[in-house]
Amino acid sequence: MPRTRLFLIGLMVLAAGGATLYLAPGRHAVSTDPPAAADRRAEAVYGGHARHQPPTRGSGLYQYAPPSGRRFDPSQVYDPTPPPPGPAPNGIREYTLVIEEDVPHEVAPGVVVPAWTFNRTVPGPVLRATEGETLRITLINKGTLPHTIHFHGIHPAQMDGVFELVPAGGQFTYEFVAKPFGIMPYHCHSMPTSQHIHNGLYGMLIIDPKQGRKPIRELALVMSAFDLDRDGEAEFYAWNGRAFQYADNPIELARGEPVRLYVMNMFEEAMVPHLHGTLYRLYPSGTSLTPSEYTDVKTLSIAERALLEFEYDFPGDYMFQCHVTEHMEQGLMGWFRVVDRKTLAQHPPR
Amino acid sequence: MAETAQSKVRMNSRSLLVASALMPALLLGGILYLLFARGTGLRLAAPAPIEKLEFERVVFRPGEIRVHVINTGPEPVALAQVQVGWISRASWEFEISPGPTIPRLGRAVVRIPYPWTPGEPYEIALITANTLVFTHEIEMAAETPVPGPQMLGAFALLGVYVGVIPVFLGILWLPFLRTLPRQWYSFLLSLTAGLLVFLGVDALEDALENAEQVPGPFQGVALILIGLSLSVLGLYALTGWLKRRRQSAGEASAPLLLAYTIAFGIGVHNLGEGLAIGGAYALGEFATTFLLIVGFMVHNLTEGIAVVSPVVRTQFHWSHLVWLGLLAGGPTIAGTLTGAFAYTAVWAVLFLAIGAGAVFQVVIEIARHQARQAGVGSLATGASFAGFALGLLLMYLTGLFVTV
Repeated sequence: MPRTRLFLIGLMVLAAGGATLYLAPGRHAVSTDPPAAADRRAEAVYGGHARHQPPTRGSGLYQYAPPSGRRFDPSQVYDPTPPPPGPAPNGIREYTLVIEEDVPHEVAPGVVVPAWTFNRTVPGPVLRATEGETLRITLINKGTLPHTIHFHGIHPAQMDGVFELVPAGGQFTYEFVAKPFGIMPYHCHSMPTSQHIHNGLYGMLIIDPKQGRKPIRELALVMSAFDLDRDGEAEFYAWNGRAFQYADNPIELARGEPVRLYVMNMFEEAMVPHLHGTLYRLYPSGTSLTPSEYTDVKTLSIAERALLEFEYDFPGDYMFQCHVTEHMEQGLMGWFRVVDRKTLAQHPPR
Repeated sequence: MAETAQSKVRMNSRSLLVASALMPALLLGGILYLLFARGTGLRLAAPAPIEKLEFERVVFRPGEIRVHVINTGPEPVALAQVQVGWISRASWEFEISPGPTIPRLGRAVVRIPYPWTPGEPYEIALITANTLVFTHEIEMAAETPVPGPQMLGAFALLGVYVGVIPVFLGILWLPFLRTLPRQWYSFLLSLTAGLLVFLGVDALEDALENAEQVPGPFQGVALILIGLSLSVLGLYALTGWLKRRRQSAGEASAPLLLAYTIAFGIGVHNLGEGLAIGGAYALGEFATTFLLIVGFMVHNLTEGIAVVSPVVRTQFHWSHLVWLGLLAGGPTIAGTLTGAFAYTAVWAVLFLAIGAGAVFQVVIEIARHQARQAGVGSLATGASFAGFALGLLLMYLTGLFVTV
């Protein structure tokens, strides 16, 4: 093969290579038109939310759809209304709490954890008594492990539910005089206590002052979390045991109606209950009759609780959330749907 | 009478043969039946669900993340919730197709309408109905190339840069190589062998690296074994057949055949390399900077020398050079395109292993060729050693450009 021809081929290859290099779209091809891309992004993100439009008027772009696209069955929603206050017959308030293990508990739509429960709910039922009444609480242990109930408050050592265990299949009646008034957590204190509490054995005890509080609309919310893979970081946070349940099923309030909210943190991280569109009068631990602060955020440390009183001036949907954004985005968010009294009378809440 | 008896005996012996072939399998079936029907006496049911989801591909579109998953566990998996993490994870809406329940070895695509921003790290968590959490980390989000005329062109061009141009440029050394005196021939062949051994080990390393990304049941390392051994043996069979055909046709062009074998081996290797490059770009783990493309060009320039070194002292029609270059460099284009738009670790591993096998087979072929041409003793001369060493060194030095 003649050498000159080889050089000619070489020149052709070089020319062809150079032409491709020069004419090629090259790196320009990677960049796209930015405004068009932003438009498409906005449409992709917010277009799907149209079906969840709250009844407010604004830009027409909405966010905060229920995350799974699937909602909680309204019949499964934990009733946020606590039992009503009032004197107990003969001054004795009796409750029975049944502990069961591995009760299926849907912590987020479609995600079912085997929970340990008081009376088959997480959190357990809200207990209520007036200061000075006798509380008689029977624990029936239907689980396979020994359990207890430990109450916060003032009571004799043998009613503290710490040292003496109630064996599997056994039962025990805790009896003491309810005091002081305020919000008192109750939870299992069997060791490892971290496991017993995490798995769902906790609830709220409200002790009313003797003279009572002004009768108004009341709500009770327990803040807690669920670590599915036991890696020390929770996957879901929740108001009353189910992530996003009050976002799927907003709590209706009447405009101008005063509301009393009992709130408690039962997880091992600080939580910050925050209301949108209003501020609350804060009664730390609910142990005082005069508010300490007028605010819209209060950091609740571990097992800390607070009584909040507020009202809404304007109708509409308002988020109530934990202001730790991670907690909020993993389930600690809900809606108050504030409506005019007239509307409320026509469509009374469930 | 005697005939029928004989055929009867034959029949009997045949059915006996069939029975003896089927016997162990039938017995195994029976024992498995007993095992399922009666149990083992051990508690074989797991106390917690065994589920496994693996992430095959994560696609970033404006305002959307698409996650391709495969269920590699023993049981079907029901996907219930999705969380996307920036600094912390947030529960997010999602759609899953074909459905939330993924059968064993089934695939699904999870569409998350998430307003991601380029350059940020993200974590994606898929949570099953049985509360198992599967996470995947994205080091840096970047929009995934969409197959369109522009992106197809860009990736084809990447293949041209990395594969075709360097090989042809290397081939352009042929006139220079032809001026070298005859005794340089074995030096050149050894140089080629050195280059190829380096390429083969490089491809094996890439294959092993990618094998870690292969979902468990597909057995990444076994794929390497299969690809490697089948390509070595397959190429032996192919070149043997070609040689016999050529000999019967009366053509004595062993050097040209060797050149084609080398070109083929390098071509398969480049296909795997293209897959890895395109795939890495698509996965957002790799910034295709100009420097890296330049590095690959320099690195692959040597492949051109490898292709033509056997034919330095042979006369042939010039069109063979075009075919040799296309055979060696062209597959890179197919590799980058496939890698960018349909990357899965399984294919990357398989092609890298086939490439490695092909390259190793070619080295053996070169040694045999040299031994035939100049005697076995020529393999152990100073020239051979120097050539081999220079080949390795060239690859090492040019490799400095492409190692990140």
